Amino acid sequence: MLRDIIRKEILDNITSPKFVFTFLLCTILILVSVYTGVTNYGAERKEYTAALALNKKNLESQPNYSSLAGIGVKINKPPQVLGTIVNGVEEAVGRVAPVNIAADPNLIDSKYSSNPVFAVFGPLDLMFIVKIVLSLFAILFTYDAIVGEKERGTLKLALSNDVPRDRLILGKAIGGYISLLIPLLIPLILSLLILLIAPNIHLGGQDWVRLVLIFLMFFLYLSVFFSLGLFVSARTSRSSTSFLVLLFAWVVIVMVIPKVAVIAAGQARPIPSVHEITAKKDAFLQQIQVEGQKTAREWVQQQQAEAAKDPKGFQDRFRKFLEDYQQELTGRIDANNAAIERDYQLKKGAQQSLAVNLSRVSPASALTFGSMTLARTGVDEYDRFLASVRAYKPIYTKWINSKMGQSINFQTGEMAAIAIDDMPQHVLEPERLSRSLLRTIPDFALMAVLIVVFFVGAYASFLRYDVR
Amino acid sequence: MLETIELTKRYEDGMLGLDSLTLKVEPGEIFCMFGANGAGKTTTINLFLGFIPPTSGTALIEGVDVHKEPLKAKRHVAFVSENVMLYGNFTAVQNLDYFSRLAGKRSLSRADYAEVLGRVGLQKEAFDRRVKAFSKGMRQKLGIAIALVKDAANILLDEPTSGLDPQSGREFLEILQQMRDQGKSVFMSTHDIFRAKLIADRVGFMRKGRLVTTKTAKELEGADLTDLYIQYMEEPQAEPAASPAET
Repeated sequence: MLRDIIRKEILDNITSPKFVFTFLLCTILILVSVYTGVTNYGAERKEYTAALALNKKNLESQPNYSSLAGIGVKINKPPQVLGTIVNGVEEAVGRVAPVNIAADPNLIDSKYSSNPVFAVFGPLDLMFIVKIVLSLFAILFTYDAIVGEKERGTLKLALSNDVPRDRLILGKAIGGYISLLIPLLIPLILSLLILLIAPNIHLGGQDWVRLVLIFLMFFLYLSVFFSLGLFVSARTSRSSTSFLVLLFAWVVIVMVIPKVAVIAAGQARPIPSVHEITAKKDAFLQQIQVEGQKTAREWVQQQQAEAAKDPKGFQDRFRKFLEDYQQELTGRIDANNAAIERDYQLKKGAQQSLAVNLSRVSPASALTFGSMTLARTGVDEYDRFLASVRAYKPIYTKWINSKMGQSINFQTGEMAAIAIDDMPQHVLEPERLSRSLLRTIPDFALMAVLIVVFFVGAYASFLRYDVR
Repeated sequence: MLETIELTKRYEDGMLGLDSLTLKVEPGEIFCMFGANGAGKTTTINLFLGFIPPTSGTALIEGVDVHKEPLKAKRHVAFVSENVMLYGNFTAVQNLDYFSRLAGKRSLSRADYAEVLGRVGLQKEAFDRRVKAFSKGMRQKLGIAIALVKDAANILLDEPTSGLDPQSGREFLEILQQMRDQGKSVFMSTHDIFRAKLIADRVGFMRKGRLVTTKTAKELEGADLTDLYIQYMEEPQAEPAASPAET
């Protein structure tokens, strides 16, 4: 009997116009999004490779180390291959972090800053389609699953037979879910084929595991809305009421909660503005520069008598003094910036985690954060990259200071040509899969709990449902 | 056999839906229940089908208490509803196939379905047409076919003739006649006094949840059923001196 109910449910759904509409739209949207993702990734990869070569060429073309110190180095954030599926904040945050002696590194040159129109519409990635479009389809498939049958009189007719209600709801749930998956699975399989055959996409073993986990998260997310639809359908007596309730719930879950959570976190845990932070850093830098010039003048004045006697020795001592003093000053600047940054990052982190935790009651937020973590395109990945650049900065500073000191000939004023072979390189260790998985457990758990709660709710409601 | 003993239903809002109904529909008997909307006809059917629990009393189908053993009781009853839409995307045969499977008839062939659909007067061309294109009368015929294919000993019909044209109405009466001949107990709630007079073995009149009276076919002979209907539907002060409700 269960098989008959499932079969009927699938047949009833796939012969309906809503199925044809869903299937067509899903296929078009999913394929377009994956194709766009693949194309964009290819372009970004090219840009990244070109930027690396250009940076190197630019560094090598500098006449001396002072000039090199002036322009600094640029660290480019590599594009993530799973950004083809979950774009995350890739386009919103910068792609380049300039590192130089004075300023604190930060990411600049985001896609949105170069073309603000992108920010208006956002990316059409697979995650967006699942979060917005497919969740609506899940509602479309379920809002009248129970109440619609009541209105058609078929529920009464079915239950006039010796059909246990629990079997009927189970059959409807399984059949309905399969019907929802059909228009989703076919384009998804085609998308995987695109990823497999695209020449610029190289997915490693871990990437495949991550991809499977992302897809699992998509299915869980849709199951939340599917079971919610079933639940509301089993709690209402008119399909129009059911649809309105579900639409309201969808707006709250997908639109309101994530945005309100960010606003609430901003109110509860305020942080200083970026301008405030920059002003503080600049003030200290200015103070240090004035102090540095004064100290250098005093040192030269003190050493004037010695300089006349032994110019060669003076030159060596001055070089040593400059190297040490420059190192000391940059050390102080770095320490001050690091303290300001640490304080800012602490406050920002607290606000961010409050916003994330508040919004995580919504499965839409859980999907967003979870899939971004798995795709390594989220805010956390951006923070990790920035932290690695900040950790690299003192290493680079020490190297460039040492090079500058050693390369100046104070008698002739000449500077030695540069060689960047021994320049320390920035290294970003990718986050391990186990760590990503650990961080997405709350998201998976929330969705699983919601599915169980809604389905049990639907099940219990249907057992007492007034079929008249 | 369909039977109720002191069957009462009071709804949550305090309204009395059915007041102590005691009734028996014997095998091979067609019982037609009259009453205004809200009189308790459909409540009786809903109680027989276990869709609502009784406040007190018992509803029995083939001696099985519906409230205690609803699934067992429903094996012995088929139901035709007033205005069933069925599955619009399915054809008549697909609808029939699904409901016959729910009724436990899994080995029926297309020829069996065609035979039943033919019996209820559905045209051959309509067998494989989607039901959403059906008229109300065609859907009603299909609903009757669904009940027929179950081949239960008891039939509950809730306003089955509404929407049927005269020709279909006549065919429907023939089907009821066949059911009676096969020894089935038929309980039909209806406003269609003319067809009921032609086919009923007994009729009952309900008002505000109470069975006011019952009349046998013999008692109805020569009587103007319309007058009777109006008389029994009126308020108690105007009630004619009728015989007590038969049980």
